[in-house]
Amino acid sequence: MTSHFLLHFRPKRIPKDALRFTLTWGLGGMAALMIVQQLFSGVLLGFFYEPHPVQAYESVQHIQSKVFLGQLLRNLHHWTGHALVIVVFLHMLRVFVSAAFYPPRHWNWLVGLGLGLLVLIANFSGYLLPWDQLSYWAVTIAISMLGYIPVLGMGLQNIIRGGEELGAATLQLFYTIHTTLIPLALALLMVYHFWFVRRAGGVLLSPAKKENTVETTKREYVSFAPELLVREIAFAAMVSCALLLFSMLVNAPLGNIANPALTPAAVKAPWYFLGAQELLLHVPAVFAVFVVPLVLVLFLGLIPFVGQKNGEPSPLVKFLFYGTLALLVGLTITGIWFRGPGMQLVWPW
Amino acid sequence: MAMVKTPQPTSRRGFLTRLWIGLGVVAFLQILATTVLSLLSGRKRSQTGQDQIIEVGKLSDFPPGSVTFIALGHLYLCHLDTGGFLAISRKCTHLGCAIPWVTERKQFECPCHASVFDITGKVLKSPAPRALDLYPISFKRNQVTINIGKSIKRSTFKTEQLAHPQELS
Ligand code: FES
Repeated sequence: MTSHFLLHFRPKRIPKDALRFTLTWGLGGMAALMIVQQLFSGVLLGFFYEPHPVQAYESVQHIQSKVFLGQLLRNLHHWTGHALVIVVFLHMLRVFVSAAFYPPRHWNWLVGLGLGLLVLIANFSGYLLPWDQLSYWAVTIAISMLGYIPVLGMGLQNIIRGGEELGAATLQLFYTIHTTLIPLALALLMVYHFWFVRRAGGVLLSPAKKENTVETTKREYVSFAPELLVREIAFAAMVSCALLLFSMLVNAPLGNIANPALTPAAVKAPWYFLGAQELLLHVPAVFAVFVVPLVLVLFLGLIPFVGQKNGEPSPLVKFLFYGTLALLVGLTITGIWFRGPGMQLVWPW
Repeated sequence: MAMVKTPQPTSRRGFLTRLWIGLGVVAFLQILATTVLSLLSGRKRSQTGQDQIIEVGKLSDFPPGSVTFIALGHLYLCHLDTGGFLAISRKCTHLGCAIPWVTERKQFECPCHASVFDITGKVLKSPAPRALDLYPISFKRNQVTINIGKSIKRSTFKTEQLAHPQELS
């Protein structure tokens, strides 16, 4: 029964080439592992967390000081959540580089984009939960960015906040989304994502143009267990250890309790939105928070369907993709490290 | 060669599949609508629009030139030197940070991205796109009251925004 179920995801025998680590850098698997780990650590945290403004902060303090291994647990959930955003981003980059998104994999690219978006929302909705100064004002800024969306912005803002300012209603909404909707959607889409890879014949071994010419009969095959299985387990253990080690060494930040009357100096949006916030300083607001993100998502969604050349993206698509990513990364890095109090340009050292 | 289109009779199976998909979409829309409606109705507590009048003190508590923070309303009551009152929201119009009044320089300075506003809430330094929001003030006998349920958006300061006690009392 179990093995039948697993066979939906992995075949008994796989091409020997598929074992090559540099084919995927293990990024997709890493992301999956981290998401599952987040589900577990999230449930444990949920036993102690109270989603109401004052209690929220106190319950996080309680977790850190009273609960057995609570600090470690929170650290793990916090750092894994942030690392996940980076891993998912790198995974997308890798899939683009190996051009693994043309039919029959085109729908799965879209599913992947959906998963990426979900991971962002997961992180953002979790950001507010500790209810400290850091999270309160970071989320305030991020939600305020929505206000620049034409027509809908203001209304959207008020629905999300449940009022003029962040409060109990906001926290409850974020908590519910973070702990029910997002995990459910992630789990479902993830299963689909994996199954789709299997159905398309496993990981893409080489850019499509060559794959069709190499005679499949000539390919050497090895069995999934133990060849691939041990490698995957070893890799998973390594990733888990690294996350655990980091969480043992570095505590997740917890500032003072949220104070709606006092904005601390040099407060910033969550780091993955700092690209948009940085852009906001240079171009009209509608572009920074609406047009650019929208065009970006549309562009990413259209990639499998346009500008294909021998199973590879055309130079123009490549140029646009890498150019946009470079810009995004550049803006984000500027926003994170080169902006001090009052958004003055500063050196990070 | 001209193609002659013959109408394809839908097979029973195809029809049923489409029926199921259609029902699925309807079910999804129902759930979505229910969710949105319940969210809109149930979370109105702190929604704006309804009047919410607070009394903030006696006229004499706010001498000309004073800027008083009214914690309950998250706003500043400003009495200009030239006469006239303004109830100014403390929420920065750029990205929503809480702005403190800096007494030494007599201006509002946002700690987030360094927007500066004068005592009337007018933008002195961007990135803030417009003047700070206002709340309606009224004077009942000697009492100053503010309607914190209605915030008024404005692009800049105009003298007609000032509230004068003598007109009404
Ligand atoms: S929030 Fe005040 S300047 Fe940005």
